[in-house]
Amino acid sequence: MTEPMINPVNRPGDKNLGKLFNGGKVMKRREWRGFKDTMYDFFRWLKIWGILINVSMGKGFVKALFRYRWLANYLAVPHMIDKNTLGQRGETLRITRTAIDFVVKEMAQIVKDNNRADIRCGNDKKLSNRSVLCDENGMTAFMMGFPTLNSAQREVVTLFSANLINQNCATHYIDVAQQYGIPGDVCPMPETELGISIEDDFAVFGKCAVQINTTCDGSMMGNGLIAKRLEREYHIPTFQLAAPIRFKNDDVQAYAAEDIKKAIAFVEEHTGAKWDWDYYFECAKRVNITTRNRWEWLDVNSTDYPQFVGSVFCLYNDTNYMGNCGKSAVFPTIDAKIMQLVKKGLENKTMLGQQYRHRCLVWGVQSHYLFDLLYWMINCWGVVPLSDMLSMVIDREIAEVDTPENREQAYYDMAYLTENMIMRNHTHGGYEALLDEMWKYCEMLGADMIMLWEHIACKALTGMHGIFEEQARERGIHLVWVQHDLCDPRIANRQSIRDQFNLYMRTVMREEPLDPSLEVIDDNNMW
Amino acid sequence: MKALLIILLVIVILFVLLFTIYMFNLDMKFMTYVVAPILEKHYDKIDRNQYL
Amino acid sequence: MRDLKNLQYFEDLLRLSNNRLVVQAKNQGRIFAAYMCENTPEPLLNLGNCFGVRLTAPNTGSTDIATYYMSSFMCEAARALLERSIEGGYNYADCLIAPDGCTMINRCAENIELLGTIKGNERFFVEHHETPLKADDNGVDLLVLQCKNHILTPLHEKYGIDISDTAIRHSVGIHNQVCELITAIGQYRKELLPRITGYEFAVITMATYVCPKDMLIDKLQETLDELATREPDSKPYRARLLVTGSELDDIEFIRIIEECGALVCADRFCFGSTPGREVIELTDDEDALTQVCRHYVYKCQCPRQMNMEKVYGRKENINRLALEYKADGIIYNQIKFCDPWAYERAMGTAMLRDDFGFPVLSLERPYNSHSSLGQIRTRIQAFIESIEIKKIQEEHNND
Repeated sequence: MTEPMINPVNRPGDKNLGKLFNGGKVMKRREWRGFKDTMYDFFRWLKIWGILINVSMGKGFVKALFRYRWLANYLAVPHMIDKNTLGQRGETLRITRTAIDFVVKEMAQIVKDNNRADIRCGNDKKLSNRSVLCDENGMTAFMMGFPTLNSAQREVVTLFSANLINQNCATHYIDVAQQYGIPGDVCPMPETELGISIEDDFAVFGKCAVQINTTCDGSMMGNGLIAKRLEREYHIPTFQLAAPIRFKNDDVQAYAAEDIKKAIAFVEEHTGAKWDWDYYFECAKRVNITTRNRWEWLDVNSTDYPQFVGSVFCLYNDTNYMGNCGKSAVFPTIDAKIMQLVKKGLENKTMLGQQYRHRCLVWGVQSHYLFDLLYWMINCWGVVPLSDMLSMVIDREIAEVDTPENREQAYYDMAYLTENMIMRNHTHGGYEALLDEMWKYCEMLGADMIMLWEHIACKALTGMHGIFEEQARERGIHLVWVQHDLCDPRIANRQSIRDQFNLYMRTVMREEPLDPSLEVIDDNNMW
Repeated sequence: MKALLIILLVIVILFVLLFTIYMFNLDMKFMTYVVAPILEKHYDKIDRNQYL
Repeated sequence: MRDLKNLQYFEDLLRLSNNRLVVQAKNQGRIFAAYMCENTPEPLLNLGNCFGVRLTAPNTGSTDIATYYMSSFMCEAARALLERSIEGGYNYADCLIAPDGCTMINRCAENIELLGTIKGNERFFVEHHETPLKADDNGVDLLVLQCKNHILTPLHEKYGIDISDTAIRHSVGIHNQVCELITAIGQYRKELLPRITGYEFAVITMATYVCPKDMLIDKLQETLDELATREPDSKPYRARLLVTGSELDDIEFIRIIEECGALVCADRFCFGSTPGREVIELTDDEDALTQVCRHYVYKCQCPRQMNMEKVYGRKENINRLALEYKADGIIYNQIKFCDPWAYERAMGTAMLRDDFGFPVLSLERPYNSHSSLGQIRTRIQAFIESIEIKKIQEEHNND
């Protein structure tokens, strides 16, 4: 981008957002967005509290609250939403809230089911017997033909979403894992999961569990230890589903499809449920709707007026593909609402901030404790995050019509979804998936800058550090490294992450911030 | 009419109250400075069956 | 004990990656297939005119350039191999066969490929193959296909290597000869006063990974014959230890352990004798390739195999070896920054200690042990002392 695009519309409300931060654990006050948008946000806030109160009325909640350390993180859900809507107005605010409120609703349901089924809390045996524990780091595609079963994602609510809410939620468990000999240089996410298991802080329920190797070596290895406790102490049988690493190659697909068949057989054997093809193809249709919508949003983001961007875009895709995988009938209606707003925003030429200086592709593995950085980039520097690596999920539709050939194809499609799990579809599959595709999307979205989240313990990513730099230099693209440690803010705190971006913008780009109050903000003590 | 006025008044009071809580982030301040510390202390006291 | 006649010869072979046998084989016009992981079936690289050598980076000092390319959090073996490759240490290789086994070795191979650091001949190629994640027949089918597509076909197309069933059987024959010799030599470690040290055995075993195998058979046979009459030392060792864990091509690590007065009586690591030097049984009623792949899938002890039978089985295997070789204790070693072994070491340590009752030393080590010699030695000495104290206490209790 050569000339900055100035927003002709005077954006109402707070201008200097940094003043909302005063070093406390929460913001001094909520943002004033002008009357209309503040009222909109207020009523949405009420709705969120409605969801949270609903969870607290669920069976087993009180026992769970006094048993599980991680559950207390959910006290700060509204704060998490405030972080992810900072500086937003008009359609942008509505898109973000529609998406994130729905993500919260989905998570709330998982927490509620967790508490209800857990043998220590609700002890609902019926729910437990129709629950299959699914790996946090995997698509739940192998569950797409089981309408009566619950794909229980106890790890997602214990760590993944909890860490979006509270930056320090993982640190206690990381310390526990390290106390038992796991080194400090492995990815803190599987390390945290293991710490939770060591501390016996996962909810215990389910007829069986399916683990997947998809994310990384660390995650695959942590699974073994988690399975040991599940099998030996709680007598919950586990199955390890294999997703090939070089999944871009044709000669691994039969292997992957065969293992999907085995996973399904395992679930059938242990739950007594039968695979339902009608339900599978119904889910497949919804997966395709999601894919088509996502590509349409990306098309919009490649215009001068991107609409659905940032961490919530990523989070929404995460939830929609991984946990949901077409199983929720509600997602397409939410998709439709968002689509309407996106189209309206495009028509009205709505801008996300006061000014656009750079069009940026966000690549790499994002920091969980600073997920909201992408909105800060817009507000502070006028850098628009057009899309991110995690949102670049699958690029083809799957078979959705029930025919004999498609029933066989379905196993390959489920394998395709599994192999293309969010993030791993770029961190694995050879350097082509990580490097070449980044340049492809950079061109597609018309980006002149790349913000590269460098998760220091992600070996698949850092293993290409030098090549990234060399190729960016050859292409004349600005590559901003932003290092972090995924879910351990003690290694690189929030401001030190922002400082890396600030430094690049000031020294290399020689630019001044749009909102100087955001350049240094005192939020290291926050949730 | 009087009942309607009372309902309206209650709604207005409720709105002002909730909006004040919303705008000054009182919900989060309460959770952060009152509820969370009590829970954290409690979690630290629980005996855990830790093993690898 | 008197020094083994060929020990110096074997040690010399480990000092350089292009050792004298590699140079000799290259001068004879043979094709050098470099590989990087125990999950690549070795006999398939020793077909016809071809010979496979596993890459190592002996005497590694600085890995500064590799650290720039791959960051300081990467496994030190992966960085050392990239650094050596950048230095031109593998320019004599005719191809590189790399599995997508662990992420870091994969990234190392990809950096080598993208940077073009192996400046071999114009037909030089890099192939990445998938390796099965579980020990099952689906995994065998996968490995067969991968070996055909990423090892056999490229070798045949680029270098005209004979990849027939007969050629594979011939290669397995030579492989088995080496394995039988190594196994026979290793058996002497079972003796209470063994006539071979763990260090000597590690040197000999390691040499079989980094040289054309057929060129080593005479020396191995000679060593086995020599051992038959070798007089062992009369002084018993302070402790008999089994060493297990991650990639270990640094024989100095074994030397450091034995300098502390212990005997490394058994081993289970990459570049070790199990399962790498176990005979591959072939029958006539199935093609050789499938049988070789089945051997590699089911015998594999790499932590990347994630099915729980294997997860538990790996620890049971260590227990079996420790009992067979009468080990007093176990050292679980992990090369620094290795993710798979970080978890496997922790789990193995806990299980071998709690479920099987062995004293276990859990140790992170650098690629080149000499770079933290003092710390390693202190840990090992303390471990040996703890075993001795335990023995004294047991004797006292028995009295």
